[in-house]
Amino acid sequence: MVDWLTMTIQMVSLAMAVWCLVSTFRDQPMLVPHLVGMGVLWLLVLTQVGVLIAAMIGGDRPDEMVMVVSYLATIALLPPACAVWGFMERSKWGPAVIAFTCFILPVLLVRIEQLWSPVV
Amino acid sequence: MSDADVTERPDRTLRTGPGRLLVAVYAVFALAATARGSYQLATRFEEAPLAYGLSVFAGIVYLIAAIGLARAGRTSRRVALVSVSVEMAGVLVVGALSELTSGVFPEDTVWSHFGSGYMFIPLVLPVLGLWWILKVHRADRDQGSFSTT
Repeated sequence: MVDWLTMTIQMVSLAMAVWCLVSTFRDQPMLVPHLVGMGVLWLLVLTQVGVLIAAMIGGDRPDEMVMVVSYLATIALLPPACAVWGFMERSKWGPAVIAFTCFILPVLLVRIEQLWSPVV
Repeated sequence: MSDADVTERPDRTLRTGPGRLLVAVYAVFALAATARGSYQLATRFEEAPLAYGLSVFAGIVYLIAAIGLARAGRTSRRVALVSVSVEMAGVLVVGALSELTSGVFPEDTVWSHFGSGYMFIPLVLPVLGLWWILKVHRADRDQGSFSTT
């Protein structure tokens, strides 16, 4: 795993989460800046997923391969899924959904890290 | 029938506003518990069939709750109410069992130790779910009596 990329994703994700939480409390719906932020986050996530898939194709396979792949699929789909949610719910609860997603994204990355290089 | 008619139908309110967030959280938990549980059942069934089976069961309950909350209609609301209640009972019973006896669930499930491995979200979620369903139900009932009389 690319450590600095993981760190960056986690930081950006948490920053997005806090920002969206503030928007929720300020009674704002999901706006264009939120979408741009999610787009950046999604690009970072896709890069990480791409790097890991390339590593797996290259032969660097973790023991729990199926689990890792399903986690990778989940983190790749989460940002667009919550953006769709934000479009459906044009109230402060749109950013609330994004905030929740951005809080669990770092947790999922930690899980992938654990599966990728288990501490024996 | 105009759009306004559809959106103003009271049964739709369960999935809008805070309901939308609940559906999202339930969907994530449904995915997490079912995927993890069925993978463990498939690969390590003999180690802890009860715990893994319970994970899958919890996942299915979350899934039913998510669908119940996401769909409009009174039947869905009942479905949501029942599944969220099952979830509440599940997290309390399994949580208590895992605290009192360590042998019953050797492997962790979503509900073990009141969901401590999942930041206690499994414990808080059914409370919020029940609160939301009852709130919408009350609002509906008041609105219903208002408009028919």
